[in-house]
Amino acid sequence: MADDSQRNFRSVYYEKVGFRGVEEKKSLEILLKDDRLDIEKLCTFSQRFPLPSMYRILVWKVLLGIIPPHHKSHALVMNYRKEQYWDVHHALRVIRFINDSTPQVDVFLRIHQLESGKLPRNLAFPLEPEDEVFLAIAKAMEEMVEDPIECYWLVSSFVNQLNSKHKDALQQLPKILEQYLNIEDNRLLMHLKACAAMSKLPYDLWFKKCFAGCLPESSLQRVWDKIISGSCKILVFVALEIFLTFKMKIIALTTAEKITQFLENIPQDNTDAIVSKAVDLWRTHCGTPAHSV
Amino acid sequence: MAQQGNVGELLSMLDSPSLGVLEDITAAFKDNLICDRGPMLVNNLVDYYLETNSQQALHILSTLQEPHDKHLLDKINEYMGKAATRLPILSLLGHVIRRQPSWKHKLSQAPLLLSLLKCLKTDTDVVVLTTGVLVLITMLPMIPQSGKQYLHDFFGIFGRLSAWCLQNPGHVAEIYLVHLHASVYALFHRLYGMYPCNFVSFLRSHYSMKENLETFEEVVKPMMEHVRIHPELVTGSKDHELDPRRWKRLETHDVVIECAKISLDPAEASYEDGYYSASRKPCTNLKHHQTDPSASHYIDTQSSYGTSTPYSTPRLTLSQMPGQLPQILSPQSIQLSTEPQQVTIWSPSAVCGMTTPPTSPGIVPSESSQSSSQPYSKAFGTSAGGKGTPLGTPATSPPPSTSDDFVHVSLPSAAATPPKKEDKSDSGRPLLYRQQNVTNSDKSLDTPGSKSSVTLSDLPEFLGGLSFEDSAEKDREEDAISKEISEITTDAEHMVPRGGFDSPFYRTNESLSGSQKKTQSAVSGAQGHGPTSEPLTSSLDKPGPESARETPKQTFTPIDKPCGGSGESPAGNREGTSGETSILTPSPCKVPAQRRVVFGSGQPPLYEHLFEVALPKTAYLFVGKKTEELLKKVKGTQDEDCTASTSPVEVLDRLIQQGADAHTKELNKLSLPSKSADWTHFGGSPPSDEIHTLRNQLLLLHNQLLYERFKRQQHALRNRRLLRKVIKATALEEHNAAMKDQLKLQEKEIQALKLSLQKEQARYHQFQEEHENIVAQLHSQIRQLQHDREEFYNQSQELQTKLEDCRNMITDLRLELKKANNKVCHTELLLSQVSQKLSNSESVQQQMEFLNRQLLVLGEVNELYLEQLQHKHTDTTKEVEMLHAAYRKDLEKAKLCVQQQSQRLDASQKRIAELESQLSKKDHLFVEQKKYLEDVKIKARGQLQAVESRYKAQKRITQAFELEILDLFGRLEKSSLLKKLEDEKTEAAEAAEERLDCGNEGCADAVAGYSEETIGRNGETKPPSTRGSSSSKGGSNSELSTPEKNQNQRFINRWETSMLLEPSTTVPLTVGSLPSSKSFLGMKSRELFRNKSESQCDEQGGTINSLSDTLKTELCKDPNMETKAPPSPNNSLSPKIPESSVGQLHIMDYNETHHDHS
Repeated sequence: MADDSQRNFRSVYYEKVGFRGVEEKKSLEILLKDDRLDIEKLCTFSQRFPLPSMYRILVWKVLLGIIPPHHKSHALVMNYRKEQYWDVHHALRVIRFINDSTPQVDVFLRIHQLESGKLPRNLAFPLEPEDEVFLAIAKAMEEMVEDPIECYWLVSSFVNQLNSKHKDALQQLPKILEQYLNIEDNRLLMHLKACAAMSKLPYDLWFKKCFAGCLPESSLQRVWDKIISGSCKILVFVALEIFLTFKMKIIALTTAEKITQFLENIPQDNTDAIVSKAVDLWRTHCGTPAHSV
Repeated sequence: MAQQGNVGELLSMLDSPSLGVLEDITAAFKDNLICDRGPMLVNNLVDYYLETNSQQALHILSTLQEPHDKHLLDKINEYMGKAATRLPILSLLGHVIRRQPSWKHKLSQAPLLLSLLKCLKTDTDVVVLTTGVLVLITMLPMIPQSGKQYLHDFFGIFGRLSAWCLQNPGHVAEIYLVHLHASVYALFHRLYGMYPCNFVSFLRSHYSMKENLETFEEVVKPMMEHVRIHPELVTGSKDHELDPRRWKRLETHDVVIECAKISLDPAEASYEDGYYSASRKPCTNLKHHQTDPSASHYIDTQSSYGTSTPYSTPRLTLSQMPGQLPQILSPQSIQLSTEPQQVTIWSPSAVCGMTTPPTSPGIVPSESSQSSSQPYSKAFGTSAGGKGTPLGTPATSPPPSTSDDFVHVSLPSAAATPPKKEDKSDSGRPLLYRQQNVTNSDKSLDTPGSKSSVTLSDLPEFLGGLSFEDSAEKDREEDAISKEISEITTDAEHMVPRGGFDSPFYRTNESLSGSQKKTQSAVSGAQGHGPTSEPLTSSLDKPGPESARETPKQTFTPIDKPCGGSGESPAGNREGTSGETSILTPSPCKVPAQRRVVFGSGQPPLYEHLFEVALPKTAYLFVGKKTEELLKKVKGTQDEDCTASTSPVEVLDRLIQQGADAHTKELNKLSLPSKSADWTHFGGSPPSDEIHTLRNQLLLLHNQLLYERFKRQQHALRNRRLLRKVIKATALEEHNAAMKDQLKLQEKEIQALKLSLQKEQARYHQFQEEHENIVAQLHSQIRQLQHDREEFYNQSQELQTKLEDCRNMITDLRLELKKANNKVCHTELLLSQVSQKLSNSESVQQQMEFLNRQLLVLGEVNELYLEQLQHKHTDTTKEVEMLHAAYRKDLEKAKLCVQQQSQRLDASQKRIAELESQLSKKDHLFVEQKKYLEDVKIKARGQLQAVESRYKAQKRITQAFELEILDLFGRLEKSSLLKKLEDEKTEAAEAAEERLDCGNEGCADAVAGYSEETIGRNGETKPPSTRGSSSSKGGSNSELSTPEKNQNQRFINRWETSMLLEPSTTVPLTVGSLPSSKSFLGMKSRELFRNKSESQCDEQGGTINSLSDTLKTELCKDPNMETKAPPSPNNSLSPKIPESSVGQLHIMDYNETHHDHS
């Protein structure tokens, strides 16, 4: 707790009186100052507080393992990553999967496919469902990150993490959602069940694409903070909060198709609030995350 | 105007004889009145009434409702202005007002009132005036509060009319004046009753003037004699009696009764409540008068008038009246003993009575009682009104009464007074009387009516001999009654109006007579009228019900009875009536409830016996007087001032009576056409006038009748209310009685409680005493014990002092003991010291001896040594010196050595410390180094991961390229497929081998991470595959079919394909891993590859060594985990290397290096 002594002693009280995240940036800077970054601490921080946007990409990269915890090797590793990217890029160009006019997102997809060995024989091959997921996430990430190489790596690592680490958890999410919906708003659940909409909810959009394309990027970042730091349950609470926020509208809709359609295109105006509430809800139901990773 | 026509028709039909039409028309009018709010219909009706005098129109007009009142009043007002229509319109107004319409309060604001007043002030027609005054009198109680503004008008009218009565400025017929006088009298009563203070002040101011003095003397003063002092004169003030609040709580009939209350005139007065006793006084006095022979004269005369009154039909010739009037009034003057005008007692009525033999004497008592009251009041002046005690009245009885009579009178008066006395105070006599009453009532409990009769019958006995005389006369009277009744039975017409008023009185008379008949039949010897009594009883049955109906009135207006003429009270009715009276007359009984019963039943007798007493006298005198009066009649006219003494009402009554009598007589005597001729005989006006006068008189009489009827209605109203009060009062009394019973019960309870309380108190006292005894005992015990205690205390104190003494002694002894002990110890110590010293000295002595001995021995030895010393002195010193020196040197050496050793030790210790510190530093360093190493490891791992991923990416790229290449090959081969079918198999095998090699080598290469090389190799392998069959269809196909399969799987595939291909190609297994030596190309490529790989191994061996350590394991692990295929090629390769031909050393080398690497 050496870094704690450097922190503002008032920070404890800020939290008590409800000012969350006053000292976050500073404490994050302290965390990032360590030569060997403590990934666990970063995870906890990210779970507990929203990340400042200026450090978000760095933290994500560290958490996703794109760059090692050592500062000294960052440049080297990033160089490697860059070279790798360009190598693959070059290879794809050579085999004419991509050219200059290919959209960035497709480039990412092809690179990813190649890297994972799933490159189709030719371009005419139809896209697999997981490719769709990748594209959606990549599109969202492209908005957040400027550098294409970083972006690629983040997307790729994020998808890999989802597929490896959270694979089992993601399958449980619909059930968990139903369970929490029962606790929070039984009536709404009954309505959804009456409409037989529970099975038709946009689970792909929510849980596989992690709301990419559903929420605007500014809100999405905060959700992804939590996912990247290891908790995919936040997805359930975002979905739950969407339900609670648009409860009246959803109750007004009677068919499963309409509900699904509405949920796939929810209004974008107050998503920040939804996410904030979802985080609160997540805290109340799952407790303050300590070292969940 | 159709409506008007319609109205005209209706009006014409109004008096149609048919009843049905009449009802329809009346209904139609009423409907019209309801619908129409205009004045037209009302005006038409009024006109019609004035024209035809129609009763129907009158009826409709008098029942007009609210919205039409204004029109009616306006119309009346209009006609009031005209002299011609004044009279009929006044009578109409009278009719309307007597109906007491709901809008009567508006009268005060109506201009009609003003015009009426004006008319009364200015008009000179007596008939109009009389009618107007009656209307005004009727109206006054209805608008009492508004009378304020017109008060002086009223008074002015009174002044004018009273003066008129006297002066007769219009010189109208006297007979009118009688009417006028009566109405003025009524006005006087009304004004005095309603506004006493104002009125009296008016009288004072008005009659203080000289010119009015006469009027006062003649007219007003006599009137004032008929009124009591109004209580308001004492308590009220001018303003107070005009206060609307005073009038608000009084209804019309209340006002009327108020006015009647202050009247002493029996014709006007009403007796109830507080006035009851006062009103009674005249009765007692009446009796007293009746006993008086002198008084009896006029009583008789009056009785004759009284009998005539009921017969309102003017049987008497009217022309007789003017002449008779003064005579009628004369008897009153007789009463005034002080007055000089002691006129003989004659009255024209007596003549009338004579002329009309059937005049019932039955009325006489009542009439006399009424009339005699006035003479009495006159005779005694104010004593009647002022004196409260009736007992005083006999004493102040007028001089005419004789001593005999006095005794006689006093008794009945005493008997009569009880009701009054019980109100005030109990005197001896009433008690007596009451007892008698009680006994009487006991005798005849069955019928209250009989009770009355019993008392009546007893009373005469009580009165003693007096009654003897009376009874004889009573029988006479009975006779007259029976006659009267027989008349009534014949004349039903008169019966009806009369019966209502009179019946109660008849009952008393009847009961009286009946009882007398029963009880005194033996006593009365002069009873010759046996047969007449029968018709009496028979005729009584008819009016019976009426009497029963009307009896209640009797109680309130007991003096009003005179009006009656016939006795009628059957036994059956009597019960009911007496029962009613008992109910209705509880008011005088403030006496206990027990007496009430007696009283209720006893009350009627009170009157009755008065009359009974009065009756015989009057009856007796009746005959004598008649004769006397006949004589006196001739004497001529009497002064008019006599009228002052009698009530104008009575005068009027008498007039009417006379008129009636005369009329009947005349009617019998004369035929109509010759009437006028005979009228002149009476000295009246000429015949032409006569009819007019008669008509007017009729009219006036009618008015008077209506006024009296109105008064009766008011009385009826009043009666109903009083009845309600009485019922309430009885209920309250019963309640009271119940409460008293309860009170008694409670008192009993209280008594019982008191008894128990006393018992409890006694017990309590007992307990207290016991308690005190115990306490006293205990106290004595305590005292004893205390005493004991004190004794003990003293003893203990003594003992304590002793104890203390002992203690002191003990302490002293102890001290002494201590001192002794100390001494002993000290001595012991001293003793031991002494013994020690002793032993010491002994031992010292022994030592001394021993030392002395030694000294001796040593001295001897010394001497001996001295001797020896002297012998051996030189040799020993040198040796010793030498030895000393040697020892010293040795010691020094040893010291040096020790010093050296210690120095060395220090040095070595220092050295050890240094080394230890170094050791710890090194340990620390080691830890740091470890940490650093770890750090570096992690760092390197991170980098390595990146590199690895890069490497993987490269592999993927390579694969992608391979795929691409293979694809392209595939295409090429397809094109050249047909041409080279023969070479296909071998080349395919070669291609397969090559590919297998490529796989292996690729694996190895991948370890090294040289992508370029693989590319190069691929480039090399291209030609053989293109050239050589390359239709490794199986392989390529499998590859194509599983492009997504991972590398290891592909290994297997390849391995399998190679294995499959082997038998066909018969290539030895050893060669399987390497390109076959047979094929030149394969060899070439192998060599090329080997060289390159070797060189690379050489070049980068150092750097890669470390990497390979980690990578190798991972690489080995991965395949192992996923498939077991990769080890198998390795395993298969490794054993085959030694088996392979010697020419393949390079390959072995390669393999070895590879092994080394791995």
